[in-house]
Amino acid sequence: MKILLLEPDKILADTYRQLLLSADHKVIMCATAQAAIFAADELSPDLVIAELQLTSHSGIEFLYEFRSYDDWTNVPVMVLTNVPAGEFAGSWDLLRDELGVTAYHYKPLTSLRSLLRAVNALAPTPA
Amino acid sequence: MTQAADKPILSQDLLLGLAEQLKLPLLQIARRSELASFGQEVDNAAIQATADSALRLIDSYLLGVRLAEEGSQQSLALEPVSVSSVLYDTAHELSSLAKFYGVHLELSIAGKYGPVTANKQALQAALTSLGMSLIEALPALDSKDVTLQLGAHRSRYGIVAGLYADTPSLNADTLRRGAELLGKSRQPLVGITHSSGAGIFVADTILQAMQLRLAPTRHNKLYGLGAVLQPNKQLQLV
Repeated sequence: MKILLLEPDKILADTYRQLLLSADHKVIMCATAQAAIFAADELSPDLVIAELQLTSHSGIEFLYEFRSYDDWTNVPVMVLTNVPAGEFAGSWDLLRDELGVTAYHYKPLTSLRSLLRAVNALAPTPA
Repeated sequence: MTQAADKPILSQDLLLGLAEQLKLPLLQIARRSELASFGQEVDNAAIQATADSALRLIDSYLLGVRLAEEGSQQSLALEPVSVSSVLYDTAHELSSLAKFYGVHLELSIAGKYGPVTANKQALQAALTSLGMSLIEALPALDSKDVTLQLGAHRSRYGIVAGLYADTPSLNADTLRRGAELLGKSRQPLVGITHSSGAGIFVADTILQAMQLRLAPTRHNKLYGLGAVLQPNKQLQLV
């Protein structure tokens, strides 16, 4: 699966990349919302994993932009973030319905094993 | 009794920022260690650099708290300090972390500045704390040239020691808004860093204990944050 990984911290990004490569996924890494939009345009990812806390433009802004293109309306998006889910308690409709967030993972409580399980669960099933 | 409102380092806002900041190195250590169970090689040197940087940030915070509690300039030993030497030692302290973040460190200390009046330990702690925050932040800006320059130059206000990058968001507006948002936002310095930027605020509070402050500055066409230091006149007469 081709995965677009939007992660601002270089060390964490390298770690997640190593994990996903070990499971035979292809990984495109980006640190900013703008770079992620360009990368998506060029490489058409099968899955997006996005942090919400980014420098300058936030992950939410990225998702609005990403979902505004017809080609990407059905690409699954997994949020992997330092923002606890509780802070979005009143905004699940926005995340799920409007921005199409498929899964929400709080980084400190998401081990690599559970991340990989969640990613593999989103892999398209062979026809 | 000391009032937290008068001394930002004693405030709960900074403590919240520090706690938020420390989640990052702990997360990096936890996840990198876990990689071994997937048959991946774990870089112990990277884990050590991450842990060391977290420990230094805690030490800098504690130094700031102690200085603030001691409460006056009299209790802080100000002495003649060589800016070049402090910047050199700071670069050395930052080198391991910079390596793992892919940040190139440059020293720009050409020129004779003479000693300035400061507390060497505090000045170095402030610059190291600031440097660690910027090292972590720069790769997240997606710029091609990830260089952090540690430099000194003369200005009409004194000798400026600071850290510089090709990042226009290192400016007065970002700092002012950041100070207002500290404790209220997860990312008070959103134009500079994706984290809480606690190291930058810790640097500022340590500088305040020396009657200095963190200020935006320009050098060699780069943008930076630094402190304006006063030449030590006593030693200049000798």
